[in-house]
Amino acid sequence: MKVAAHIAVALAQAGLLVLLGPLVTGFVQKLKARLQCRQGADLWQPYRDLWKLLRKGTVQSDTASPFFQVVPVLALAATVVSATMMPVLWAPTDIVPVPLGDAILLLALLALARFVTAIGAFDAGGAFGGMGASREMTVGLLVEPALMMVVFSIAVVGGTTDLGDIAARRSTLAALSWQAPDLLALFALLVLIPAEAGRIPVDNPDTHLELTMLHEGMLLEHSGPGLACLALATHTRQLIVINLVAALFLPVGMAHGMSPVELAVALAAFAAKTLVLATFLGVVESSYAKLRFFRVPQFLGLGLLCAFLSLALRIL
Amino acid sequence: MKKSAVWLGHLFALALALAIAAVAVGVLESRSAPLHVALPKLFPFAEMSLTVDGLSAFFLLVIALGTAAAALYGPSYLGEHARAPVVQTAALNIFVGCMVLVCCAGDALTFLLAWEGMTLASYVLVVSDTRNEENARAGLFYLVMAHAGTAALLVVFLTLTERAQAFDFPALRLAAHDLDGSTRTVLFMLALAGFGAKAGIVPLHVWLPLAHPAAPSHVSALMSGVMLKVALYGILRFGFDLLAPAAGPLPVSWGWTVLLFGTVSALVGVLLALQQHDLKRLLAFHSVENIGIILIGAGLAMVLANGPGTATLATLALAAALLHTLNHAAFKGLLFLCAGSVISRTHQRNMEDLGGLARRMPWTAWLFLLGAVAISALPPLNGFVSEWMTFQALVLGGARLGGASGLLAGVAASILALTGGLAAACFAKAFGVTFLGRPRSTHAEHATESPAPMIAGMLLLATACIVLGLVPGYAMRLLDRPTAELLGGVGASAVVIARGPLILSSSGAPLGLAATSISMPWVAVLFALVAAGVWALRSWPRSAPWRLAPTWTCGMTPTSRFDYTATAFAKPLRLIFAALYRPSSEVVKETGASPYVIRRLAYRGGVVDLVETMFYVRLKCGISASAEAIRTYSTGRIHGYVGYLLVTLIVALLLFGKG
Repeated sequence: MKVAAHIAVALAQAGLLVLLGPLVTGFVQKLKARLQCRQGADLWQPYRDLWKLLRKGTVQSDTASPFFQVVPVLALAATVVSATMMPVLWAPTDIVPVPLGDAILLLALLALARFVTAIGAFDAGGAFGGMGASREMTVGLLVEPALMMVVFSIAVVGGTTDLGDIAARRSTLAALSWQAPDLLALFALLVLIPAEAGRIPVDNPDTHLELTMLHEGMLLEHSGPGLACLALATHTRQLIVINLVAALFLPVGMAHGMSPVELAVALAAFAAKTLVLATFLGVVESSYAKLRFFRVPQFLGLGLLCAFLSLALRIL
Repeated sequence: MKKSAVWLGHLFALALALAIAAVAVGVLESRSAPLHVALPKLFPFAEMSLTVDGLSAFFLLVIALGTAAAALYGPSYLGEHARAPVVQTAALNIFVGCMVLVCCAGDALTFLLAWEGMTLASYVLVVSDTRNEENARAGLFYLVMAHAGTAALLVVFLTLTERAQAFDFPALRLAAHDLDGSTRTVLFMLALAGFGAKAGIVPLHVWLPLAHPAAPSHVSALMSGVMLKVALYGILRFGFDLLAPAAGPLPVSWGWTVLLFGTVSALVGVLLALQQHDLKRLLAFHSVENIGIILIGAGLAMVLANGPGTATLATLALAAALLHTLNHAAFKGLLFLCAGSVISRTHQRNMEDLGGLARRMPWTAWLFLLGAVAISALPPLNGFVSEWMTFQALVLGGARLGGASGLLAGVAASILALTGGLAAACFAKAFGVTFLGRPRSTHAEHATESPAPMIAGMLLLATACIVLGLVPGYAMRLLDRPTAELLGGVGASAVVIARGPLILSSSGAPLGLAATSISMPWVAVLFALVAAGVWALRSWPRSAPWRLAPTWTCGMTPTSRFDYTATAFAKPLRLIFAALYRPSSEVVKETGASPYVIRRLAYRGGVVDLVETMFYVRLKCGISASAEAIRTYSTGRIHGYVGYLLVTLIVALLLFGKG
């Protein structure tokens, strides 16, 4: 019974991230539009796009193998399962009956989604797909280790890489018991989240010019429901990354029990944190130009360096 | 006649594999004294014997897994296009037998004889597949490196046997107890170098990517998946057992040396693999990487075995290393067998000339993808499990150790994380370019699926990858005995699966730190359920049209030249890591009447292995120079040589003749 309840909670939190993912994208788009003195589409536009794509037919490249149709399913499933490991509203303080996974497994599942999408990009036999895959994997292999190092840096203190435990531990401490390594790690994450969410200055989600596409290049040959799945995976991934920052550094307001008041507070805290970080993404996207691809490693190198320094300071 | 001999030989290898698997599991499951068998007396001066303890049994299991798959796969593969199938089958059996004997050897003589037999049998397999100069050179290089390693091992063994006045391991162990600290460390470093030359530790790896791909593919699978592990067995046997001090901790320098070489091997191996376009050579470089990952775990276990209160973490690290040993045998074997399947159907090893094989060879393609996910340490397969354990051991160990030594563990963890990303990029390239898109040669276009026995061999290893990934708890129980033997204390399962067989935990209660737990079966079930749900969602609007259309190529007729190549895929990494790769490229343009109309464009590019250019080329130059220098003294006249001999004799007598 306890097991079932725990899994249900995990799935409910993942469901929340999946459902609200498009809304965050809508918010960022709206914010960008306002900053550019445009009216912009309303907040619900990503949902409309998804609904439209789901009902559309599919055009598949004649060179593609059967694997091509499985790609969106695997990518979305990996993203959703990784979301179940994220404490969103509820961080347990006692030992959970069925531990699903920790931060390493979460990041590995996101990497699996990226890997599967990148492979699928080869299948249509066009140059854009391969180019997108190559660039995305390059960015990924710089971002993933940095995210791991941030997690390690936090884990050195608590001795655990379980996000629920980390959130529960840190939320019971005074919120500002931060040390220098925390600041460095937070800075590293702020550098990395635009990259992981596929946004400027690393990637531009709004463009389909061959020279600027990273993530979109991989999705170019997908259509209809498959594209909807991949778009939903992208929205969810963005919210997961935003939540990762919140869970690691600002796990304030999370519920430890199941009382309605606690959950309401947790929901409000979740909304506030997401809003702040989404605003950060939107403002960065509006105030910077996209970097030339071969400048990206230097930019991400900054994140990598800060993450490593944070880990090193923590151990020393 | 020939065909039945090949089949019989492989059946024999299969039976051998099943037998040693039975022995291995029997020993691993029991708590009795090690199995001991005295061998018939071959030499008047020494008794020979076999001893199977927990560590031996675990490596026997690794050998059994690889051999069983290779034996199923081999006959059909050799039947296709082998030049000397009978000789190769015989050599394969000798090769496997010698690996088994190395792991079971109870004395120095048996060990060295079997070690040499293993080298020679694999040399025969390397040079026999295709007769060309490149293969012969690869074989020679292999032979030289292997024997340089054996020479180092001989020094270690002779030092010990001279002190013990006996050859059997218990006597050597006793003799090692009396060694002083520096001699002990020198001997261990020699053993590390000797076994490292076989295991392909950077900088001793240069022969490996040449020799492994040259053998028939199922032998490559055995060499990469199993033979390297036999060398690893040697490192563990010497480090934890034969050379270990009688009481007190292992010398600190040992663990750090192993950890350092492991980290460097992991990074250099995967970086070089990324730039390979030969399918088998790419896989061979990944073996260097994975040996590095295993050594990170083993080295960390050596370091942590010293410290107060870190015994549990040492067990975790060693369990991670041993599990990765088994895992690597499964997924690297699988990948080599799949590569062999591709090569036997297309006669192409260069992935730029392949492509589109997923539709023509579906079994091979899907199994290769499975292996690729496993080797890239992605869940829910086995590579992830052992890397997760390694990460946990490194982070918790680093936290425990603190200071400069903790920092080294942190650096190793960071580099291991980078390695995972690089491996994923490498296998996205390998799978995407080889199996997807359009075929880029006629061979690839007309490829058909391999015969059933070959697929059976691959399926066996694929099953191992899945089972070890989903329910690693059982494997933990098999690790109990080796970990307890090498480190003392409770075995692996008491540490790693303390919360039940389905849950992996990073640290047990004794540590006093919060544990991290993951549950692979639950995650896999969840993944399957979510995937089924998404599939239903995706195919829900049944009425929506579904059609095939050519890929948009900006208005031009789509051909296979539009496919992204492996060279292009790896280009960003060539630029990012240019300091290590030193890439070179050359573009030749052939223009017509006007310089703006290009008729033909030729591109040639390459990267260097920095170790090779920095070290081996200089070594070669040094040897040549010194040979040149002594040329004046080697006159060719017999009197001169007799004179040299006389002088040497007198000097030797003066120096050593007094006693």
